Amino acid sequence: MTLSVENRAEKVATFRFIHVFLMETLARWVPMTPEMEVKVILGRHIWDLAQQADALGKRTYELRAPLQFSLRPLDRYARFLEEFARTTATSEKIHGFYEVMLPALAVRYRAYLDQTDRLLDEPTVRIVERILGDFTRMESESQRLLDELPELRPVDQTWLAGLRKLEAAETDIVASRPATAVA
Amino acid sequence: MTSAAQISPTLDPKLFGDAPARDARFREKSRWVDLMNFPDDHPLKVVEFFHRQMNEEMNGMENAAQSLADFPDADWNVRLSIARQCADEARHVEMFRRIFESRGGEIGAYPVLNFQYRIIANLPDLLSRLVVQNRSFEAGGIDAVTFAIDEARKRGDQELVELFEMQQADEITHVRFANEYIRDTIRADPRAALRVARALTLASTAFTEVMGREGIEKVEYLTDERGRMEAGFGLEEVKAATTQAIKRRASYEGQ
Repeated sequence: MTLSVENRAEKVATFRFIHVFLMETLARWVPMTPEMEVKVILGRHIWDLAQQADALGKRTYELRAPLQFSLRPLDRYARFLEEFARTTATSEKIHGFYEVMLPALAVRYRAYLDQTDRLLDEPTVRIVERILGDFTRMESESQRLLDELPELRPVDQTWLAGLRKLEAAETDIVASRPATAVA
Repeated sequence: MTSAAQISPTLDPKLFGDAPARDARFREKSRWVDLMNFPDDHPLKVVEFFHRQMNEEMNGMENAAQSLADFPDADWNVRLSIARQCADEARHVEMFRRIFESRGGEIGAYPVLNFQYRIIANLPDLLSRLVVQNRSFEAGGIDAVTFAIDEARKRGDQELVELFEMQQADEITHVRFANEYIRDTIRADPRAALRVARALTLASTAFTEVMGREGIEKVEYLTDERGRMEAGFGLEEVKAATTQAIKRRASYEGQ
């Protein structure tokens, strides 16, 4: 399957939506999460997610969509994100974000890399590759956090498996862009 | 975990919102007099300060994070700067934790205040929050850190000099982006200046309630004029801040 400029812009804008959503989710969690070490890692990764969203948002403009354009994913996936944001237990926040959400997003990025023409779409490829590198570092920082706070290691595995399954259930998450879309 | 219900009921609930969550190591107090305020020559004075500052940086991170969550429709560029501030404040927590523990401190050994979060996250709009957090509290921090750098240098504490210098560079950046945002907002809507004035009045009243005269009297430093200029204050604003600081110190010294 080939991708048009418009298709690519919509995918990139959908990724941007997810990054901004996750940034806001971590931001909401920071004041209400008790453990200092967890606040710190979330606070650091808010900036990672913001920079990734910014790079994606600049790319949308190059792909003839508005600057910093976000496209809300299809309803079921958007509802899944909203449900995840309501997680309250610290161990579920950590395991859910670093062991489900980031790896799942990485799978979607790799699928994009497989799908796009790496020469024609090289600027997007570079951004995605940088994001994947960031994810590896962020996940490894979360492992160090779990080493420091081993009491956060135990997590409800059924809940985690359910989260993973729900995420993977939505293979296509990109909605069509409304004609009047704005940034 | 500390909850708002455990906080002294004597603080005005109109001025203070809920406390941020803290783990069981921390003991939260409401007022400055309830902290361990060691005299200047006490051997634990500096170590206690690191612990206090670590928690204040946590408040800074929590405020920035709360604003990102609360104002999703704010301009993307200011959100990006606030996200950066979150990471900077998180790094500052780690910086102060590292030096605190390396000098024998144990987390939770001293009580802490969370007034910054309780005042700022209680303000209803982003302009008011940036005015109080960045343009007021963090700008005051620029002045305080300049004084602290000189003091650390006099003691020959190079590790602390480096820490403070890096912290100050970050704070100047935070004040600068807030000053730009505030100026642009007022330029676009001059009535926003009224919100600025209201937020500063509320914060000043709340701050005095927490600190009491005893806490404010302890302030020894004046204005870092160069730092404030770098942070985007105008010359007249810097002069006014200096005049105010001189008057404040003179009023305490005259008693």
